[in-house]
Amino acid sequence: MKTINVRAVARGKGDIPLLVCVCAMVVFGCVMIYSASSYVGEVQYGDSLYFVKKQILGAVAGGAVMAFFCIFPYRKLEKFRYAALIVSAALLALVFVPGIGVTNYGATRWIGFGSFTIQPSEIAKYAYALFAAAYFAKNPHKVKTVKGVLPVLGAGALLCVLVILEPNMSITMCIGILMLALIFLSGTNLKTFAFILIPCALAVPALIIAEPYRLKRLSAFLDPWSSPLGEGYQLIQSLYALGNGGMFGVGLFNSTQKYRFLPFAESDFILSVMGEELGFVGLMLFFAACAFIVWRGLKIARRCNERFGYLLAAGFTLVYGIQVVVNALVVSGTIPPTGLPLPLISSGNTSLIITMASMGVLFNISRSCPPSPYAGTARRKSSVNNKNSRAV
Amino acid sequence: MSVILAIAFIFCIIAGRFFWLQVVSGGQLTLRAADQWNREIPVIASRGAIYDRNGAVLAGNKNTYSVFVRPAAVEDKEYLATVLSGIFGLDKSEVYSDISKSGVSEVTVAKHASENEIQQLISYDFSGVYYSRDNTRVYTYGDALCQVLGFTSTDGSGISGLEKYYNELLSGKNGEILYATDIVGVERENAAVVYSPAEDGASLFLTIDAEIQLAAEQAMRNVYVSSGAKSVSCVVLDPQNFEVLAMVNYPSYNLNDVPRDDMQTLNSLSRNKAVVDIYEPGSTFKVITAAADLEEYLRGNTAAFSPEYVFNSSRTRSVDGTTIKCWSDHKNGKHSNQTLAQALNNSCNPCFTDIALALGTDTFYDYLSAFGFGNVTGIDFSGEAVGMLLPQSLVRNCDLARIGFGQTVAVTQLQLACAVAAAVNGGNYYVPRIAGGIVSADGTKQQFASVLKNKVISEEASELLAKMLEGVVTEGSGKNAYIEGYKVGGKTGTAQKYEDGRIASGKYVSSFVGFFPSDEPRYLALITVDEPQGTYYGSAVAAPVAKEIFEDIIAIKNISPFC
Repeated sequence: MKTINVRAVARGKGDIPLLVCVCAMVVFGCVMIYSASSYVGEVQYGDSLYFVKKQILGAVAGGAVMAFFCIFPYRKLEKFRYAALIVSAALLALVFVPGIGVTNYGATRWIGFGSFTIQPSEIAKYAYALFAAAYFAKNPHKVKTVKGVLPVLGAGALLCVLVILEPNMSITMCIGILMLALIFLSGTNLKTFAFILIPCALAVPALIIAEPYRLKRLSAFLDPWSSPLGEGYQLIQSLYALGNGGMFGVGLFNSTQKYRFLPFAESDFILSVMGEELGFVGLMLFFAACAFIVWRGLKIARRCNERFGYLLAAGFTLVYGIQVVVNALVVSGTIPPTGLPLPLISSGNTSLIITMASMGVLFNISRSCPPSPYAGTARRKSSVNNKNSRAV
Repeated sequence: MSVILAIAFIFCIIAGRFFWLQVVSGGQLTLRAADQWNREIPVIASRGAIYDRNGAVLAGNKNTYSVFVRPAAVEDKEYLATVLSGIFGLDKSEVYSDISKSGVSEVTVAKHASENEIQQLISYDFSGVYYSRDNTRVYTYGDALCQVLGFTSTDGSGISGLEKYYNELLSGKNGEILYATDIVGVERENAAVVYSPAEDGASLFLTIDAEIQLAAEQAMRNVYVSSGAKSVSCVVLDPQNFEVLAMVNYPSYNLNDVPRDDMQTLNSLSRNKAVVDIYEPGSTFKVITAAADLEEYLRGNTAAFSPEYVFNSSRTRSVDGTTIKCWSDHKNGKHSNQTLAQALNNSCNPCFTDIALALGTDTFYDYLSAFGFGNVTGIDFSGEAVGMLLPQSLVRNCDLARIGFGQTVAVTQLQLACAVAAAVNGGNYYVPRIAGGIVSADGTKQQFASVLKNKVISEEASELLAKMLEGVVTEGSGKNAYIEGYKVGGKTGTAQKYEDGRIASGKYVSSFVGFFPSDEPRYLALITVDEPQGTYYGSAVAAPVAKEIFEDIIAIKNISPFC
């Protein structure tokens, strides 16, 4: 361990601002969860700190895991690519085993051990990023052909199918976008990419039609006021919260919507409560912090002179960034509501721990890869990122 | 660089969306959301009182309370139901099912609960139970003036009579207490409670004199019992300004115990017959015919008869081939060689036929119109009837002949009382009024001014007529209303009732319109007895009632004789 440390220090200090920002966000998340959930916790569990306590526990565990990955050489992760994929798939499959899978709000997304539950789909996103990064790092030339990309596509499809069966449309979308982004980042040619992109684009309407509740949600999204007590309810409540916040917010802990008007105020819709209490200005500061993390992550990727580190850093950063963007768009009623947490903030330990772990890995990459010009890749990367942003 | 641009691009899209929602649409969204954030408890405005002209309370309020339960905030519904049913005397299972309703924010458990009951409730300190003041209307005199005052719904809004007519004025404006609650209506701790106070209603002063009203009530009750009539009514006016001093319709009902369950009975008992129902006036209408004749005579109309003119003594008149008879047989010198004064004394029909025909339709209808027939009086009361007057263009001579003595015409009692008042007060027709003024919640008083509608006849004609009507009481058919030392004038009336367009045998409306002092009338009373049993002449049935009422007024107002 000591040798690693010494080597790491010798190679670079690592991206300390990233870690500071992540830690600050986790603390901020705990505060927001307290604000959003104290009333619900009191009413439902008789403990206003119910959700915060859980989150702090997760934060401590997440901190430990993050610390571990800060010093654990990321290159060794390459070896776990199949293991990670198989374990994720197995966990996702376990969800469907009666007695282990936990059903909530009409979806079976958790596996439970007593009062402890984990959400395998949260892990699967990162596992997939790891697998794809490792595969393309090992087989740089296979990227150019459809056949060569097939294993990555197959793995993505497998995870997507398992996740969508839960059902969890939003994480499926995340994995899908991630898959496309990683294939593009790996330096494929346009023909291959188009060959992959078109079926994926076609899959979206098919999936919407397959499940009637998605269609309902979609129509609720288009006009939430047509069913204010039904499908449109959640969205309306979110908009009420944001509207009430106005420019400067109603002040920390002063949300009105958290009095059980807004469902999932402490998890998927915590951004609404933040918007209500801290206002537009507060949210913009928060998004700036998120953008900072993404910027640091992509900078780490670009500076990495090694293919696996580059793809892994970009993949993990994208997982984070995609989730923030999708969550913000859901909460603001820009895209149909889906159950996706706001990473590092929303209540939910699986997401918290795995996101912190990924940040640890990012730090480790930043430490391990000394800045070196990697011009070609860097340019490619940014153009990809640009495309990706438009897709979102 | 392009990484930063890409991040900035996404950031701007999201920022734009949130700016639109939070800053641009924020106010509108908050307005919509405010609906779900607050629950309100109404604060009922105190309903204005109704006073008589001297400040006696006719209708006031007792402080009572409504009790609400917010089911979502109740901890032990079973126990609460037990306690509530105990305090308010309710059925426990009903209360339980009421407070167990889901999907309602609040349930009204009790209304008009007494202070004592609320004290008991407070001692339990339940959560989710609220109370707020409501009004219980209290009518000082129970059934007196009931059709005029009217009653309120259990929610305290006027639904008949003056309570309805002046509802807006009396009811004031309810306030509310806004409580911030969570989604199911549980009150939030530390949340501000917004109290917007109620604006109490204004009070109403009537022109009614409670003492005269009570005296009239008593007299009318007596005649109702003694005559066995279907119903009786009485209007007492101040002829100098047409302020209604008393208005009685009997049978009546108790305003403090309105028979709400029996709609049919309530509808008939709560009719202010004197204003909303019409009848054929009969001989009391001769006052108007006489007034028209005197005025026309004084104006030099040669067709009109002078006070000295002696009418043909025949019992009958033949008009348009129909024969009009006097009610009297004219035998043994009865109704012979009468002047107008004597015709009034005897209430001789043919004389008034002569007058109506002599004046002609045009002139006579001008007077009918001036005296307010064929139109509402404009009193401040809902549902006033217009009466029935043949359209001028359709009137045949045989109709005109009968209108002269009060047949083929239907009027409200108020119309007749006002017409007679105008005929004897110097010829001034005012708009009759029941409300004399208002006192707003802050104490400022506003007096309603009396409105002179039109001049009906000259002072001189009026004086002559009043003198003649005084004669009716001293020596004619109105003797039963004579009071020694007081110049009472009046006219009797006995009209046969029509049913299905045919004279209903044995059914009469006996009436008497009287006033005193005849040289400057201060009080005018119209007594109507509908379908008396046995004796049915107005002179025998109604005139004594007027006398009784006038004597009471003299006692109440301490009016000295011979002045």
